[in-house]
Amino acid sequence: MPQRYDAIVIGGGHNGLISAAYLARAGLKTVVLERRHILGGAAVTEEIFSGFRFSVFSYVVSLLRPEIIRELDLPRHGLDILPLDGTFTPVPEGMGRTPPKDGNGNPIGTGDYLWRVNDHGRTVRELRRWSKMDVEAYEEYGPLMVDMARFIKPILAIVPPDPASIDPRPLLPLGGLLRSFQKLTERQQAVFVQLMTMSAYDFLNQWFETDPLKATMAASGIIGTFQGVKSPGTAYVLLHHYMGEIDGAFRAWGIPKGGTGGISNAIASAARANGAEIRTEAAVARIQTRGGRATGVILENGEELEADSILSSVDVRRTFIDLMEPGSLDGEFEREVRRFKFRGSSGKVNMALDSLPNFTALPGEGEHLRGAISISPSVEAMEHAYDDAKYGRFSSKPYIDIVIPTLVDPSMAPPGKHVMSCFVQYAPYNLDPSLGGWDQQREAFGDAVVNRIAEFAPDLPSKILHRNVQTPLDIERTTGLTEGNIFQGELSLEQLFFSRPVPGWARFRTPIRDLWMCGSSTHPGGGIMGANGRIAAMELLKSKRKGGKVRAA
Amino acid sequence: MSGPRPETYWDAIVIGAGHNALVTAAYLAKGGLRTLVLERRDRVGGAADTTELAKGIRVPTLAHTVGRLRPSLQKDLGLARHGLSLVAPEVRVFAPSANAGAVTLWSDTRKTAEGLRAGSDRDANEYPRFDRRVRLLGKFLDELGRATPPDIKSPGLGDAISGLKLGRSFKGLGRDGSRTVLRVLPMAVADLVAESFDGDALRAAVAWRGVRFGAVGPWSAGTAAMLLTDGAGNDGGAAGETVFAKGGPGALSAALAAAAREAGAEIRTSATVTRITTKDDRATGVVLADGTELEARAVVSGANPKSTLIDLVDPVVLGPSLGWRAGNIRTPGVVAKVNLALKKLPVFPAAGGDEALLRGRIVVAPTIDTMERAFDATKYGRSSDQPILEATIPSLADPLLVEGAKAGTHVMSVIAQYAPYEIAGGWDAGRDAFGDAVISVLESVAPGIGKLVSHRQVLTPVDLEREYGLTGGHPLHAEPGLDQFFVWRPLLGQARYRIALERLYLCGSGAHPGGGITGGPGQNAAREILSDLRRR
Repeated sequence: MPQRYDAIVIGGGHNGLISAAYLARAGLKTVVLERRHILGGAAVTEEIFSGFRFSVFSYVVSLLRPEIIRELDLPRHGLDILPLDGTFTPVPEGMGRTPPKDGNGNPIGTGDYLWRVNDHGRTVRELRRWSKMDVEAYEEYGPLMVDMARFIKPILAIVPPDPASIDPRPLLPLGGLLRSFQKLTERQQAVFVQLMTMSAYDFLNQWFETDPLKATMAASGIIGTFQGVKSPGTAYVLLHHYMGEIDGAFRAWGIPKGGTGGISNAIASAARANGAEIRTEAAVARIQTRGGRATGVILENGEELEADSILSSVDVRRTFIDLMEPGSLDGEFEREVRRFKFRGSSGKVNMALDSLPNFTALPGEGEHLRGAISISPSVEAMEHAYDDAKYGRFSSKPYIDIVIPTLVDPSMAPPGKHVMSCFVQYAPYNLDPSLGGWDQQREAFGDAVVNRIAEFAPDLPSKILHRNVQTPLDIERTTGLTEGNIFQGELSLEQLFFSRPVPGWARFRTPIRDLWMCGSSTHPGGGIMGANGRIAAMELLKSKRKGGKVRAA
Repeated sequence: MSGPRPETYWDAIVIGAGHNALVTAAYLAKGGLRTLVLERRDRVGGAADTTELAKGIRVPTLAHTVGRLRPSLQKDLGLARHGLSLVAPEVRVFAPSANAGAVTLWSDTRKTAEGLRAGSDRDANEYPRFDRRVRLLGKFLDELGRATPPDIKSPGLGDAISGLKLGRSFKGLGRDGSRTVLRVLPMAVADLVAESFDGDALRAAVAWRGVRFGAVGPWSAGTAAMLLTDGAGNDGGAAGETVFAKGGPGALSAALAAAAREAGAEIRTSATVTRITTKDDRATGVVLADGTELEARAVVSGANPKSTLIDLVDPVVLGPSLGWRAGNIRTPGVVAKVNLALKKLPVFPAAGGDEALLRGRIVVAPTIDTMERAFDATKYGRSSDQPILEATIPSLADPLLVEGAKAGTHVMSVIAQYAPYEIAGGWDAGRDAFGDAVISVLESVAPGIGKLVSHRQVLTPVDLEREYGLTGGHPLHAEPGLDQFFVWRPLLGQARYRIALERLYLCGSGAHPGGGITGGPGQNAAREILSDLRRR
């Protein structure tokens, strides 16, 4: 006799765990089934090399919705986010403006850098070295983007309507949006439209002239996408990454104590406290359906579980192509699912270091190493990196976002030693056949990353104790993210809001009754945000409450 | 409303005599307004022009087909009566490849499908479906194109009604159609064609219209919308329109000018407007280069929005915010025009001697990747060394173009991408090199064509700006991106043909529904201007 639950959540990533926590909180008998031996999906901390612990995949946090932190009381369950202050962009010799000098007027290092910190005054002073015009623009740009993020924030919390449906009720939240849109000044409205349609470069180019500034800011617009900084639509991703900052600089990008696994563990603890059951090494092989209705799952070990509702936090292709009985889907829906674009474009290189690297532009172990170090010296460099990927090669000189967590959380490595996390674009999931595939190219890719960083910190190679390279193929194999896309599907305009993941099915429900989606494939997309898991759980509870099955949460 | 008035006072002054401006002027004059058109050049037509390349040899100077021209305005303005005669060859697109293979798109969809069958059954079966889809979505976009963008700041009754109308035609698409349009518009055209077709040559031949005249590659988001818009309101479908005006596009402009004059409009050439005069944030007239001041109840600009606002309006009157936004209107020209006189008809091995195949648009865009690579150059301030080409040989259907020349002479009109407005070293140095690049691409599909060239004209984006006042050398006045579309073309809050000032109007390609030889913006603008001027 199979075990019976009110709700089964497939996948123990942050969204799955959040859904489970909310469902359990409402009194549903809930179980989470995770394929791996640890929880977190792409938000995991693992000791890859003895003594060195890594946020193997996702490595910084900023987007996690404050209402979730509050409602699930995550701090009490161990969530502790340490701020990352600033972004340091080294610039090669010859490309700088007026290289910084020391007290005696001697250049501090070779080459130049652009260093922005949360201390506005310092950033402005630094920026003045590059361009007085950009200083003025910066003063204007910051507040404007905060306004934009404030305006779009409610969208993160609504269930997308189906514009094709005749039922007007789901459109009501849009009415509210339209009204608040009309409250914006015409310029704000225009800027918002630009954010939804422009390329990150074109958008930023309206304000700024400093090349490394534009390149570094535009980089937020391509994270996790198969787009370049000059590709239309990337300005939205720029905004997407801005939303985490709207509660003020103190919630700007940070890293969870103990790595991103710390977030997953806190959520899991909250879920358990609410009575959810969480099982690891419980890989789901099949979602069982009867009469067009999901009834339960079969695990790879043959065990069967039954439930009134199934929530899948794995991506839309895994859910409907891999876990469903072939032929159990409506043809048009299946076509749309197969159409959904993943196109993983990023890789990750994790390093264990004997000591800190020395960046020639600003030598020493200063606080510039405590924030993000962005290898984005120019817009051209960013575009060249993208062009490589378009034609099936990993970037020979990639864009790299470097974080050294041990500087804010020494517990991640043995005393005096460090871990370095390198997020890399571009690394296209589909390589040109002539390259023979990622298993042949993995170390070459790792070398390209080390060499690129060594252009700015020549002593890095001598300090590497261990190196762990995560190609899109590895990301897919380990986490199950299709094609290694970190957002469970591209954040391209045609895959957002009411078209995410499938037009007409953006409301967390699916054509299979009692089967729900709660992962990043749904609105509002990826990043450690959690909104997806929360809204999906709320929608399911609402539908049940109608049936009078649960107490109001 | 048009009683006798001094020569210096008009109901409407139209700046520029491009095809949209002429359309507006004709409608305004028909509506009873005393209308004056002022053109800087010594001839009307703007980008719809026919000029003599060499003695007795005339070529379509910039645009070479006119099949997107709105049927309704052809009827309203009696263009046929004014001498417009159109030729539509059976072949729409002939896309030869270097290996003597080719994709041919006919006006007859079934015939096209049969031709594709040899390469791929799937492509042959999908093509008619794709064609129907393009036409269905094109129909909706045409209704969108005929509407004046709603005023979203303070929606009035009219906006509600037109909103409902659009809503109805949107629902008219049906459940799947309406979802499709929302999903497809922001897509990359490369993805759109890949959903239907396997053959890379077919994908490229169809995708070309998604990037034509735009500073985008087939992998850029929003290019699917450009493809669909190109087919909106005409018989384009999947293949795209291929219609020639007898005598070249200049004949269209002549017919429009004749229609405008017949309706009572006055057209002055070699009359350069240097400034739009204002009084209390209201346009009152214009000042000419020779100092002449002319007054009007309405000033209508056929020039592009950027130069209209930046060059012609006093910045103080415009204000810093709108000035900043106007300065940021994107006008990245990437198109060059190469016009050739040929001693005789070139041989395309892929055509197998069938001259009929050469009567449409000859598209040289071998694969999606070659298009994208050609585009890549623009990102680094270079012109493509292997540009994408759309060539026509109008003298095949219209021998009068070469009647004054030796027998056998033909003219070839080539739209070449990508040639960015700004290239390292500048265009005066780069012009001939790019012309050579175009010829060498032509050689790859028509060996020996280089030797047939008796005259060659290369018009770069810089020439387009100098000669035609197209800021940034953009033939569509403003980039047709998703960021300059419908309610925000050219700018949010300025998209209803009324721009910046009271009684100042925009009627050119920089306004909704955008560029190309459609007359759409001109026709829509006239409607709005007439309703404003009649209201009082």
